[in-house]
Parts: sequence; C-alpha cells; structure tokens
Amino acid sequence: MSEMFAHLGLGFGVALTLQNVALCFVGCLVGTLVGVLPGVGPIATIAMLLPITFGLDPVGALIMLAGIYYGAQYGGSTTAILVNIPGEATAVVTTLDGHQMAKQGRAGVALGTAALGSFVAGCFATLVIAALGAPLTKLALLFGPAEYFSLMVMGLCFAVVLARGSILKAFCMIMLGLLLSTVGTDLETGQERMTFGFPPLSDGIDFAVLAMGVFGFAEVLRNLENPEARDVVRAKIGRLLPGWEDIKQSIAPCLRGTLIGGTLGILPGNGAVLGPFASYTLEKKIAKDPSRFGKGAIEGVAGPESANNAGAQTAFIPLLTLGIPPNAVMALMVGAMTIHGIIPGPQVMTKNPELFWGMIASMWIGNLMLLVINLPLVGLWVKLLQVPYRLMFPAILIFCSIGIYSVNNQPVDVAFTALFGLFGYLLIKLGFEPAPMLLGFVLGKLMEEKLRQALIISRGSFMTFIERPISAGLLLVAVAILVIALLPAMSKKRDEVFTE
Amino acid sequence: MSLNKIEAAQGWRIRSTQDFAGGLFMIALAGLALFLARDLPLGSLRQIGPGMLPKSIAVICAALGALLSLNAMRYKGEKLSGWSWRGVLFVLGAAIVFGLTIRGFEIGPLKVPQLGMLVSGPLVVFIAGLAADDVRIKELAIFAVAMTTACALLFKYALSLPIPLAPWLLGI
Repeated sequence: MSEMFAHLGLGFGVALTLQNVALCFVGCLVGTLVGVLPGVGPIATIAMLLPITFGLDPVGALIMLAGIYYGAQYGGSTTAILVNIPGEATAVVTTLDGHQMAKQGRAGVALGTAALGSFVAGCFATLVIAALGAPLTKLALLFGPAEYFSLMVMGLCFAVVLARGSILKAFCMIMLGLLLSTVGTDLETGQERMTFGFPPLSDGIDFAVLAMGVFGFAEVLRNLENPEARDVVRAKIGRLLPGWEDIKQSIAPCLRGTLIGGTLGILPGNGAVLGPFASYTLEKKIAKDPSRFGKGAIEGVAGPESANNAGAQTAFIPLLTLGIPPNAVMALMVGAMTIHGIIPGPQVMTKNPELFWGMIASMWIGNLMLLVINLPLVGLWVKLLQVPYRLMFPAILIFCSIGIYSVNNQPVDVAFTALFGLFGYLLIKLGFEPAPMLLGFVLGKLMEEKLRQALIISRGSFMTFIERPISAGLLLVAVAILVIALLPAMSKKRDEVFTE
Repeated sequence: MSLNKIEAAQGWRIRSTQDFAGGLFMIALAGLALFLARDLPLGSLRQIGPGMLPKSIAVICAALGALLSLNAMRYKGEKLSGWSWRGVLFVLGAAIVFGLTIRGFEIGPLKVPQLGMLVSGPLVVFIAGLAADDVRIKELAIFAVAMTTACALLFKYALSLPIPLAPWLLGI
C-alpha cells in the first residue's frame, strides 16, 4: 500500500511540472475541441491529433496523448447530449436520457452530471491502475511466449464477441487485420512478404496510415453520404451545476457505474464497451419508476457516463502492464507510443518508472482538467456543433494530410492513406465494422513473434499451448466465450443489447 | 430466426447482396495474399518460415468469406447501397494532390516542383470541399486560405515540424 503511494508520489512529481500540466491541459482542450465535432469519434480524433505530439519528449507526449484521449471521450458525451449523435458505441446510452434532459432545458445539468460522474470515476480508476499496475506487471513477467499468444487469442475472441453487428463479419475483420500485419519484411529471415516489390512497404504498412485512412478519410466519405439530421438543442443550456436533489439522485448510480465500468474495462478485448450498457440496464432494473428512463432520468446519464469513463481508463491496464491493447483506441495508443520509441509492456514500468507513474498521475490531473475546461466552455462547444459539415470535412482533411506527411516526412504516405481511405469506404459499404481490424493489425506482429518463439521452445509441438496451465486456461476462456456468444439464445440477447 | 428458417427452406438464392459481396471480397483479398506469398517458404512447425502465417491466415480469410457468402444465400440481410463517386473522387483526390505537390514529384515527363504547404494546403481544402452537395465556392475559398494560415502557424511555428511552406517563394 505504502509502495503504491510512493509510486503515485513519484508520478505526481513528474506530472505536476509546469510543462506537463500545460501539455495535459492543451491535450484535454484540443481533444474535446475535436471530439465534440459530430461525426468525429475518439479514434478519428486521436489519429488526427497524433502529429501535434511529435515534437515532444516521450513523457510529455504520452501525457498529452492521455489528455487528448479523455478530451475525445468527454467531447463524445457532449455531442451525444446536445446533438443526439453518439460519437462511438459507448455514447449511445448517453443519448437516451441525456438528450431528453437537454430538450427539457436541462442540458447544463446533464453535462455537469456527466463531467462530475466522469471525474469521480476517473479518481477511482486512477487508484485501481496504481494498485494493480505493480502486481500485474510482476504477473506479466511470468508469462512466456505461449501465455502471451493465448492471451492475445483470448483478447481477439472477446473483441469479436463484443463488436457491433455480425460476429462472422467481426471475425473476418480481425483476420484481415492479422493478414495486413504480415505485410513487410519478415522478422527472422529478412525476406520481403507481399510488398509488391515496392520499397516503402518493406517496413510493413504504417500504422498511422492505416488508422487515418480507415478512420479519418473513410469516415468522411461515410458522413458525406448520409447527411446526418443534426438535432442541436435549441432549448437553453440552463445552469451547469446539478442541484442538491440531482446530486442525491445520481450519487449511487455514479458509484455503481464506476464499479461496473472499471471492472469490465480491465478485461482484454474491449470489455469497456459493455460498461455503459450494463450500468444503464442495472439502473433501469433497480429504479423505483423505470418508466422515467428514456425521458430524461438523471440516473441514466450519471451511471453510464461514470461507467464509460472508468472503463476508458482501466482499459489502460492491459496495455501498460501486459503490452496488449484491449480495443481499437488503445491500439492507436500503442501506435503512438511506438512512434515515440516506447514499446508498451511490463518493461515500461521497470525501465522508465517516471514515464509510467507520470502518465498515471496525469490521468487524474486530466480528469480534473476536463471538469475545469468543460463547464465554463460549454457555450463554445455549442457554437462548434453548429459548424456545417461542408466546412468541417475539408478541415479534417488538411489536418490529416499534414499529420500523415509529418509522421515520416514521406509524401507517398499521404497517397497511401487515400488508398486505405478507399479500402475503408469499401469495407463500410460491405457492412464491415473496421475497428476490430485495427486491433488485429496491431496485435498481429506480436502474435506472430510469440507464436514462433513458443513453437521453437516446444520444438514444433502445438501441445505447448494446452500443456501450460495458464495458457490452457486463457484458451479455454476464449473458446467458452465464443461458444456462449454463438448459442442462439445468447446471440439474440446480444442483438438486444446493441440495439437498445 | 423462425422466419429465416422458413426462407431457408425455399431454396438458395442471394438474400443479402451486401454480405454476399463481402464474402467475395474476403475471398478475393485472400487470393491476392496467397498469390503474393506464393514463393515464401512455409518452413516447419519447429522452425516457422516467413510464408506460414500469411498463407494460413489467408486460407482462414477465404474460408470465412465463403461462409459469409453462403450465409448470405440462406438468411436475409442488408442490400448493397449505391457508391458515391463524387466523395471518393474529390476527397481522396485532394489527399493525393497534397501528397504530390507538397515536396514535388517526377513521373516520366511530368514534373512538379516542390510547392510547399502554402500551395498544397489551399488545394487540399478546396478540392475536398467540392465533394459536399451544398458547396459554396466563395466561402470555401476563404476557408481554404484561413485553414492553411492556421495550420502553417500551428505546425510550422508552434510545433516546429519540418514541413516545407513555400520553398520556391520564401525559401523555407
């Protein structure tokens, strides 16, 4: 326990320097600024803002990135409440009651509750990460290649089950991501694989190029096609701070949501996405008058928003301790860290403790920032929401173009991104959800490496994955989750959860 | 489900063009990967070669694609919707123009000098903007200039990224 506080102390020492607080502030601000724009989800926001961290030292860059991440998450909630457009899957729940509250002239209270709930959740999640970070890292050091491989298989199975839409199609996307990850020079023999003999491909497909093409450009194409009916709230925003009555009503849902979201977020494979749904369902079940839900019940905002933020933050745990990103956003963080020369994993904590703990401390500061930034700036966000899409997407485009160019100072990367934009658009047209592909792509290289190592150690016997108890357990969970999800009764329930 | 079962009894035909095409797409990609990886040695389980994973993943992709296409003939689903060439052309074209002009290029007899962001920036905003149905040329032109100025200040000066502004005019 005292060790944990010593670590947190070290972290705050790093995070509270003037430069890092400023970076955290700017990150939160621009993250919210871009995240608020309708039709720009957190993945696109982070992909777009990556280049502004390039000039910084790794610690500063990571702190800023974390700030951007929270800002983007919170910006998504703002859009959900004010415009009824969820930026991502987890914000869907917030639209249900949040937008109703806004229509009743209580937008301010809804936003305030979301911010306060997120802050409470963030404080709790920061403590959880600090507490679990060290022991999980020790656990990770016990993991051999076989265990790592099985863990990633399990993560991908979770991701398939929890993806939106058809399971079969999500499976297709994961495999496609793995396939794309094998492009480039082979790690062991140095042979070029599937590069068309084209030199820029010999390092493999650049992560930033793939992410910005599929999530930046393709999203623009998707949005251009379906001009969204923007339902910007015309009613007054009203006062921001929830009154005593509101606080009394939302405090229990907020704590329950934090617990649910925080727990689910730790699961490898996008457990965080379930948090808001689970919290909303729970609140509705235990409410005295469930009929109020969907008509502006404050519990329906406080619970899911807390769950969302807690999950968003504990999702860092698998990434920081095991080096395995649980969802597409975290996959993006891996890409960002690699650009700064940090390979996420257990060695980060032992080798650069100031980076690890500094980032964790900055998470808490970031949550505080959000509260400070968002409440006074709500008026500005409302103005931003009224920017017409015909001006928004050219701005997105120039940002992405400059950003991709800056990753490697390679003009050809921009053309590649356009190509992946076309690819992403094709996927959207064919009804594939591209987020699992990004996860598969990021995990692919690591999986191949671990698979090869494991098979060399076992002299070519696949039994190694079943003979080692931890590995066998992980694979068993993976199989179980797939079987359960494919049972007819469960798949029906799954559809209900995602359409509610 | 029950409705689908009744339909399934009515014989095989394409019931979801979207899923059917998606399956074919997966098979085509897998075929391409197998073709490109044809010369890579598989190796053995004891010492996996460079071709083992690409080939086996491609086979799995093809199998999943086939399953998806078969499912599309049994169960009802989404139809393919129209493809918007206007968006593809202008939005992706704008990005390609940016890539071509920012540092210049040479393809055979065609030669474009290094134009820098002061030219490429407005070009990308303007060309992309033409993709919108409700485009207003004058507004877009002003916006293109404003965005470029903002980006130049942000990326070149605030973040000092090495991006050429206008080497032919300003020398930076």
